[in-house]
Amino acid sequence: MRKYLKLLGIFWRFSILRELEYRVNFLTNAFMSVFWLFWGVISATIFFAHRDTVGGWTFEQVLVVLGLYTLFTGVMEAFFRPNITQMIEHVRNGTFDFVLVKPVDSQFYASFHSLTMWRLVDILAGAALIAYALRAMGLTPTGGQLLAFGLLLLVALILIYCIWLAMMTMSFWFVKIDNFAELFYAFYETGRFPISVYSGLLRALLTFVIPVAFITTFPAAALMGLLEPTELLIGIVLALALLALTNRLWRFAVRSYASASS
Amino acid sequence: MPLTVTHLKKYYPVHQKEPGISGSLKSFFRREYRDVKAVDDISFAIDTGEIVGFLGPNGAGKTTTLKMLSGLLYPTGGSARVLGFTPNERKPEYLRQMTLVMGQKQQLNWDLPALETFLVNQAIYEISDEQYKRTLDELTELLDLAPLLKKQVRKLSLGERMKCELAAALLHRPQVLFLDEPTIGLDVTMQTKIRQFIAEYNRRYRATIILTSHYMADVTALCKRVIVIDHGKLMYDGSLDELAARIAPHKLVRVELATNVEGSRLDSYGKVMKIQEQSVELLVPRSKTSEITARILAELPIVDVTIQDPPIEDVIARVFEQAALTHNATAAHADD
Repeated sequence: MRKYLKLLGIFWRFSILRELEYRVNFLTNAFMSVFWLFWGVISATIFFAHRDTVGGWTFEQVLVVLGLYTLFTGVMEAFFRPNITQMIEHVRNGTFDFVLVKPVDSQFYASFHSLTMWRLVDILAGAALIAYALRAMGLTPTGGQLLAFGLLLLVALILIYCIWLAMMTMSFWFVKIDNFAELFYAFYETGRFPISVYSGLLRALLTFVIPVAFITTFPAAALMGLLEPTELLIGIVLALALLALTNRLWRFAVRSYASASS
Repeated sequence: MPLTVTHLKKYYPVHQKEPGISGSLKSFFRREYRDVKAVDDISFAIDTGEIVGFLGPNGAGKTTTLKMLSGLLYPTGGSARVLGFTPNERKPEYLRQMTLVMGQKQQLNWDLPALETFLVNQAIYEISDEQYKRTLDELTELLDLAPLLKKQVRKLSLGERMKCELAAALLHRPQVLFLDEPTIGLDVTMQTKIRQFIAEYNRRYRATIILTSHYMADVTALCKRVIVIDHGKLMYDGSLDELAARIAPHKLVRVELATNVEGSRLDSYGKVMKIQEQSVELLVPRSKTSEITARILAELPIVDVTIQDPPIEDVIARVFEQAALTHNATAAHADD
């Protein structure tokens, strides 16, 4: 465990050093993050121009959802996207061999090797939006609500990780998986709004199959005291099950991996 | 023996595609697979501290064998044991004691100085700061790394990069080294340096080394023993000298003459390979070398005589020729 914490520190230091090699990136991208956040808020105001609620949620409540959407976009872009990009390179060039011949857990290495530091800006921006919306509503979450929120943030993190890990695993077989990521983003886009906006099959799909609802809607609901306890329970079970499942998938993939260009 | 391979096999299913768009379309919907026998029933054992050269043409199965030994590929059949471990279980205790260097692939990060990758490896192999420093100092001295370590890898030359690759792969002082074409693409001076380094590492740590190379000079300089594989089959396992004796039962006698001698007169000593002014090359049966040399010395106006084995490239080429013949013969037989 200590070894892996130390490794995480070294990996991230490594990534930050690498990013500092290309300094201009940082400023342009920090600017883009803030721009997209405002864009999200503006499009939300347009939705609320002629009505008071969307799917039963008020404007400020939707801002909390939007804040979580931005926050987790940051998480994905900072922590997962760069790793999937590297994984594709590794598999294509056959350099994943170097990971597999080292005494290190390959899933850990592949999952956390890279970090795109400047996307941490999205996480801050998302958190700021949530804080702003809560203040606008004059809401102070209770201890219980904060606890449920914390747990659901963890659930959301695990779910996102599992989805990215599953995509990464696919690269062993299909090599170019950039399209999977785009497909997932198309679904993730729906997370800008509370799940109650969607109905029927799409709603079930977004709750259980590609659990976007657990990433943005439910943590937001928890923070504002709108959560059903069963939703928390389902979330925890779903996260643990997916974690075990994707880990097995990874192991299976490594086993069947025959490295490129022998 | 610390490294034993018994009846090792690796068959790959390879999908067959007809050329052209229609072929691509067909294979998009229905792929046809055929087994390619990359490694087909080979056995050998290697002792501690040995350097063994793996020879074979492209696609002979050298890299596949190395990958199985380093735990990257699961054998289709047979088994491999290295240092008491089964490589494909990839036990950390095993991985800590071995290393794999691939001349065609690099583990160093392109954008950062090699030193940064070294630090990652230090953490992965859990090398103490003290030992890390000692090993790095040694490697720096042996490989002349000092001016290279703090430069970004993309700014290094191919040879400099290879030196850093070797250092990155050896920081944990592995006991078993699998070196796949470590000198590929390097110029002659750099090849020599890398070669000297490998020999020195072997001497200092009594490391067991398997090396593949396209450059015969690597093999002759480093390996007393060679294993020749072709089409996944083991063709030869033994000393380099014996291989030469067996495959090329001739020696090359180079003679510098004082005066011109007619070609017909030379024919009686052996097969004339080359006449250039007064320097002549004769191919002489190995067993009669001394007898014939004595006759040449007695009967011809001699300035100088040297006796050599034919170039090892030629010897190896002949091994593969023979291998191809047997292979084709078996293939033809199978077609009947």
